[in-house]
Amino acid sequence: MSASTRAPDPARQQLTVDWQSCDGHGLCAEILPELVHLDEWHFPVVQRAVPKELERLARAAVVACPKLALKITKP
Amino acid sequence: MSGVRVAAGQGTDVWVHEGPRLLADLEHGPGLAVHRRRSNGRQPWPTSGWELAELLEAVDLRGRGGAAFPLARKVRTAAKARGRPVVVVNAAEGEPASSKDSTLMLLKPHLVLDGAQLVAQAIGADTIHVVVPGERPSVQAGVRTAMADRADADPVPMSLHRAECRFVAGESSAVLELLSGRPNLPVTTSRPSAVSGLGGRPTVLSNAETYAQAALLARDGVDAYCSVGTPAEPGTRLLTIDGDGDRPTVLEVAHGTRLAPLLAAADADADNGLLLGGYHGTWLPPAAVADLTVSAMSMIEAGAAIGAGVMLPLRAGACPIRRTAVVVGYLAGESANRCGPCKFGLPALAHAVRDLALGAVRSSERIVQLMDAVERRGACHHPDGTTRSIRSMLRAFPLEVEMHLSGSCTAAAVAVPAGAW
Repeated sequence: MSASTRAPDPARQQLTVDWQSCDGHGLCAEILPELVHLDEWHFPVVQRAVPKELERLARAAVVACPKLALKITKP
Repeated sequence: MSGVRVAAGQGTDVWVHEGPRLLADLEHGPGLAVHRRRSNGRQPWPTSGWELAELLEAVDLRGRGGAAFPLARKVRTAAKARGRPVVVVNAAEGEPASSKDSTLMLLKPHLVLDGAQLVAQAIGADTIHVVVPGERPSVQAGVRTAMADRADADPVPMSLHRAECRFVAGESSAVLELLSGRPNLPVTTSRPSAVSGLGGRPTVLSNAETYAQAALLARDGVDAYCSVGTPAEPGTRLLTIDGDGDRPTVLEVAHGTRLAPLLAAADADADNGLLLGGYHGTWLPPAAVADLTVSAMSMIEAGAAIGAGVMLPLRAGACPIRRTAVVVGYLAGESANRCGPCKFGLPALAHAVRDLALGAVRSSERIVQLMDAVERRGACHHPDGTTRSIRSMLRAFPLEVEMHLSGSCTAAAVAVPAGAW
């Protein structure tokens, strides 16, 4: 099972990809390698639950996405 | 068994067996006058969403499009949600292996439309949208005639829409996109359509057969509806059985009926296994098919799901690995090409499964790696449905998989007629 399929922890902020918008630019993986890596086609594999200490970086990754495809959902 | 032959398939005729309810009295044709005569003595229809929901709950009527979601919950949610509700009848049978909704729309359109009117009136909807498959023009023509015949008598206006000719066109979010004037493709949705669907309005969207079942229930009452089937799953269900790819059979059977004799009645057998639930379905080995009954519970116990009732049995002499490779190749071509993992992953997966079928690889590692890479990474369940058929193939046919990995095939030893699966 890849990281993206792990059951999300409802208490934490969740990182999700809007798949029909994502074009695989890969900025999210540059900014937030702790939670995002790219698959063989350069699309993000995300670890959904965002730890407290990474919330600021996660927001930076969301803002950087040129397709607005990365989202943080609040608990 | 009596029956008729109709042009409900994608380019093929479908054999339809007479059934106890939905498919009863086929010899009288699909006309409105006959339908009205047969519907005489109908009970009073539920007049509120709550009343209808209670009726539906009494028989646990679930959606027949694949997800088996309780219709009562959609009705209740839409009835109390903010805004004027809309009703959508989904007959956009995009899966080529399924013909039951097209058959129903051709042979018993007024039962489906009665059901849509019933739901619409109970929840106060002002519009009914009926969506038919683009690749089956006879269905569109039949439904148009049926709608015109009853337009004067129907309190809620209905409009007809044609889905695009593709597998994912019938997915519920894709249907709502079509009705919104956008491309007929699946999208990510964050709220249930019963809360916020078409144009943000509460939307009851269900499969054509579901509405027909609701109409029968309202017409005949709970006791009559429950007089066939099992206590846990009352009533009947439509199945499409297609054993060799060019003679699909549609039949209506009571829940709890044994499956194996039905396959025989459809001129098929599952001597080499069964792909249950259609192209997004689950492979079962022959031994698991023997005791199977037409029931959601029986199929769950076997590790499968009844889905939209598509049964694809594999004859002796046909190879399940090759058959899966053909299915996955088709599904990869049916990607909407919008979500990256599906657009790139499914063709790669099709390639890997074909390599296995051809005996060209010594390990199934690449298949597993690609399945992990596409699952739950898309706006709809197209990737997940595709991997379901592959994972179940690996589970159901370990011996065949081993043989292919060593470059041989059990089925190849038997003469296979050209074009057979």
